[in-house]
Amino acid sequence: MTALPIHGAPAPARRRAWVPEVLRPVPDGATRPKPRLAYAVIAISGVVVIALAQLLLSIAVTQGAYEIDGYETSRATLSREQQKLSEDLDRVQSPQYLAKNAEALGMVPNTNPVFLRLSDGAVLGQPASAGAAAAASAALVPNALIDGVPLVTEQQAGETAPGGGQGAAVGAPAAEAAVPPPPPASESLPTPTTH
Amino acid sequence: MRRILAAGVLLVLLVGVFVVRLVDIQVVRAAALNEQADEVRSTEPIPVFGTRGDIVDRNGTVLADSVMRYDVALSPKNAKKGPVAREEPDPADPSKKIRVEVPLEQTAAELGEVVGLTGDQVLGIITAALAENPDSDFEYVAKTIDVDTYEKVRALDIPWVVQYPHPSRSYPNGAVAGNLLGFVDFDGAPGAGLELGEDECLASENGEVTFIPSLEDWVEIPGTEVVHKQAKDGGTLKLTIDSDLQWEVQRIAEAQRLALGAEWATVTVMEAKTGKLLAVADVPTVDPNAPSETAEADRGSRTFTAPFEPGSTFKAVTAASVIDDGKANPLSQVMAGYSYDAPNGANFRDSFYHDDMPYTLTGALIDSSNTATAMFGEQMSDQVRFEYMQKFGFGAVSEVGFPAEESGDLNGGPEEWDNQTKYTTMFGQGLTTTAIQIASAYQTIANGGVRMPVQLVESCTDAEGEVTETKQEGSRVISEKAADETSQMLEQVYTKGWLKDQWNIPGYRVAAKTGTAQVPDGNGGYRKEYLVSVSGFAPADDPEFVVSVSYMNAVKMNSSAASAPVFQQVMSQVLKKYRTIPSGAPAPDLPATW
Repeated sequence: MTALPIHGAPAPARRRAWVPEVLRPVPDGATRPKPRLAYAVIAISGVVVIALAQLLLSIAVTQGAYEIDGYETSRATLSREQQKLSEDLDRVQSPQYLAKNAEALGMVPNTNPVFLRLSDGAVLGQPASAGAAAAASAALVPNALIDGVPLVTEQQAGETAPGGGQGAAVGAPAAEAAVPPPPPASESLPTPTTH
Repeated sequence: MRRILAAGVLLVLLVGVFVVRLVDIQVVRAAALNEQADEVRSTEPIPVFGTRGDIVDRNGTVLADSVMRYDVALSPKNAKKGPVAREEPDPADPSKKIRVEVPLEQTAAELGEVVGLTGDQVLGIITAALAENPDSDFEYVAKTIDVDTYEKVRALDIPWVVQYPHPSRSYPNGAVAGNLLGFVDFDGAPGAGLELGEDECLASENGEVTFIPSLEDWVEIPGTEVVHKQAKDGGTLKLTIDSDLQWEVQRIAEAQRLALGAEWATVTVMEAKTGKLLAVADVPTVDPNAPSETAEADRGSRTFTAPFEPGSTFKAVTAASVIDDGKANPLSQVMAGYSYDAPNGANFRDSFYHDDMPYTLTGALIDSSNTATAMFGEQMSDQVRFEYMQKFGFGAVSEVGFPAEESGDLNGGPEEWDNQTKYTTMFGQGLTTTAIQIASAYQTIANGGVRMPVQLVESCTDAEGEVTETKQEGSRVISEKAADETSQMLEQVYTKGWLKDQWNIPGYRVAAKTGTAQVPDGNGGYRKEYLVSVSGFAPADDPEFVVSVSYMNAVKMNSSAASAPVFQQVMSQVLKKYRTIPSGAPAPDLPATW
């Protein structure tokens, strides 16, 4: 092999020559570059910035908590208000209330169905006038929710009363207005002037 | 070298200890430690109320909805401690506020006025509670007050008064469909009717949360809320009922009930083509807002729960079966006397005296003759007749499955019927049916012989919006021809029967049959009261609506003339409301005698 003669002879001499190099002392500290102050400043200020940011964030979040709480409270108030109003609405749109009002205004049901066909003007069914006033319906299909809700006739009285005068005057007009004026039965419907 | 090794080992050990500790705290004991921490810092579990589902009618009108009510409680111990301080405008200078001491008597009077008690009553509650327990810290003053009152109590700002939310139920339309809806009790548990029967759809579940509050003002610290249990809202139950019609039907039924002094009455309105119930009136009626104001027996729906012997309305069923079985047609003839001695020994009479009459099947129905009907009915075997009854829906609860619904009683069947019962079942005595079954049988005749399942619930829409519809197939009971012929005969009853002037609806063809049935006394005999009824449908040329009316023990008029005006008014209202076009031609004539 070609490698053997080359390794054989010069090896000892080389080893001797290398020893002082290998054991050379560590280079003096003065020659190493000094750590820069900037790094420390960056690191420390980084920590401070992070701490500060966290503090600010948590302040913001806490402040937000009060804001949320405020909104929650007003949401609860508003939803109570909404419930109150929708209950009022349910009350006044119940059939009992509508029927009571219709009766208070003097309306009676007609049980005789008649239709007018628009296509040819034909009257389908046999027209008949409504019978005498039916019995008051309020007691027949009770509704505990509308107890004490004023009828439309009473409300009109209530609205007009304060205009005339306060206090003692309120009672009298309310009693008068509760009975609606009878409609002119024999007169024909008012005719609008058209051109 | 050794030192390095020692330092390394030490380091590994140290890190190992920390790792073990970390895993122990963060994984192994995490749950226990969290709980411990929460106990110290968190609030008590706070209920989050799930909303019980609404019940709406076919047009979406709300019949039952959930509302929030409040319970007011006070602390007797703290109330007795002395006057409370309050800020009030200074009488001398209204822009400034001064602190005034309000004595207990005044606070109690103010609180009482708001919740509807006297001041003395409120003081009485406090004294009574303290007498029982000097440390008493909790006593209710008022329960389920509405939002208005809640806000008034809040405005009083009394330190020893607390208010708790109390989910509750409101029925905006009062007694409209009250007997169907049922009600829920004070604790929100369903008590009757659909509230009970359809609870699976309506029920909600309350959830639970905790959070960590600030100690100062009880504001939630963001991100600390823990949901222990998710609240679940109930589904919306949509009925086939039309609330406007239901109101009108109840009004008519109750007015007549009072006029007649009847014990109770039911009126059912059903769509002839679908079997959907448009109105089910039971009077006396319960207002679910105040169920205790109605007698307990009157709080349910007798339409489903009170079986009775139907009487002559059942003759239409016998006639339809006989025709479908091919044993007779509307013009078939019998010679019927006032009394009939049947071949098997049974004996019965008509309700009015008459000489021997040459009745057609049509005539038997017009005059409602028991003897003539029996002579037709006996032409088919009892077993076949029994099977027809079952196909018409008798003897089994309807598809509605109303809570406590009764099936009626066919008394077993032909093998168990005695000789008398074999005949009386032909004209509706000796068996019981519910009002809903009678309506369903007339629906079958009106719908060309196809019985549609009775339907009260249209659909259930759960909180996520998923709709479950009630869908069922109809079943053919009798042929279309048999149904049409029965319908034509019932038209003759309407135009020629003894009530023809009382139930006339001008312009429409109507098919109807009356019934005046004796009421069994439960001991094999009969009471002297009657159940009077009318069932029918219109327009007879293309049936759209079935109306069935029953009055129990109408003291002032014990005949079906009592229920006829109700049938007339209800049917007119139905035809008017649904804009049904009046029939063009009158009903074709069929001879009653030969």
